Amino acid sequence: MNEQPEPEPKTVGETVRSGSVRIAGEQDILRARQQARKVAESMEFRITDVTRIVTAVSELARNIHLYAGEGVMRWREISDGARSGIELTFDDDGPGIEDVQGVLQGSHSTSDRGMGRGIQGTKKLMDDFEIATDPDDGTTITIRKWHR
Amino acid sequence: MSGTDHSAAVTRVYDVLIAAFPNRPTDQAVDDLQQEILQRMDELNPRGVILDISEVTTLDSFFARVIAETADMVSLMGGKTIVVGMQPSVAITAAELGFGLGDIETARNTDHALELLGIQVEDGDDGDE
Repeated sequence: MNEQPEPEPKTVGETVRSGSVRIAGEQDILRARQQARKVAESMEFRITDVTRIVTAVSELARNIHLYAGEGVMRWREISDGARSGIELTFDDDGPGIEDVQGVLQGSHSTSDRGMGRGIQGTKKLMDDFEIATDPDDGTTITIRKWHR
Repeated sequence: MSGTDHSAAVTRVYDVLIAAFPNRPTDQAVDDLQQEILQRMDELNPRGVILDISEVTTLDSFFARVIAETADMVSLMGGKTIVVGMQPSVAITAAELGFGLGDIETARNTDHALELLGIQVEDGDDGDE
């Protein structure tokens, strides 16, 4: 249904402020969530959007912890013309996702921990979702939510 | 960020266990709570378990799965589980994510849940509202 987005990194919008959270252990999932909540609340996203963003962060941070062992969540508050938004990038050097189309379409889940379900869900919760995955370079997922 | 506020509490009220999840539980706290509920089920033989998630602001697929699993386990042990107090934003997000809580019954609050479990709650002040 969806074309695979071009993996080449292009920067969307201008960075208003940014930061990162290293993900190396289970406790860092909570830290990533707290950081995302703080940023989203300070941008005055409504509560339902804050919950969507934080839930997406929880899924993707957990995937890094479970499948890659470690990685990083980078966040940016961005301004793109008249609109503003939050962008979160999850980057790891793990083994990559073999059947990325299957995962995105829901026909495949890597394990009963349910990575597939988490990724599909995340896509639904956010406005933008981009994924680049490779066995050599690991996985990079970028999500955005625009203010409305 | 101390460990204590991430843990959950299991208490017994009437013949029912009430497990209250903290606001921001770690995965470990969620797993621990499941263990504790099953242990208390074994010790106290209550007729059911109320999972109070009214403080929970993030229900992701892991958390939802543990809740569904816990209800299955409680059921295998002969008890019934009712989830209470889901916040509106959490309900919206869970519905969009496409996961429900399986066949678990839900209730708006603990009083309703106790009623569903067949407990007659005596209330002095007849406060329906």
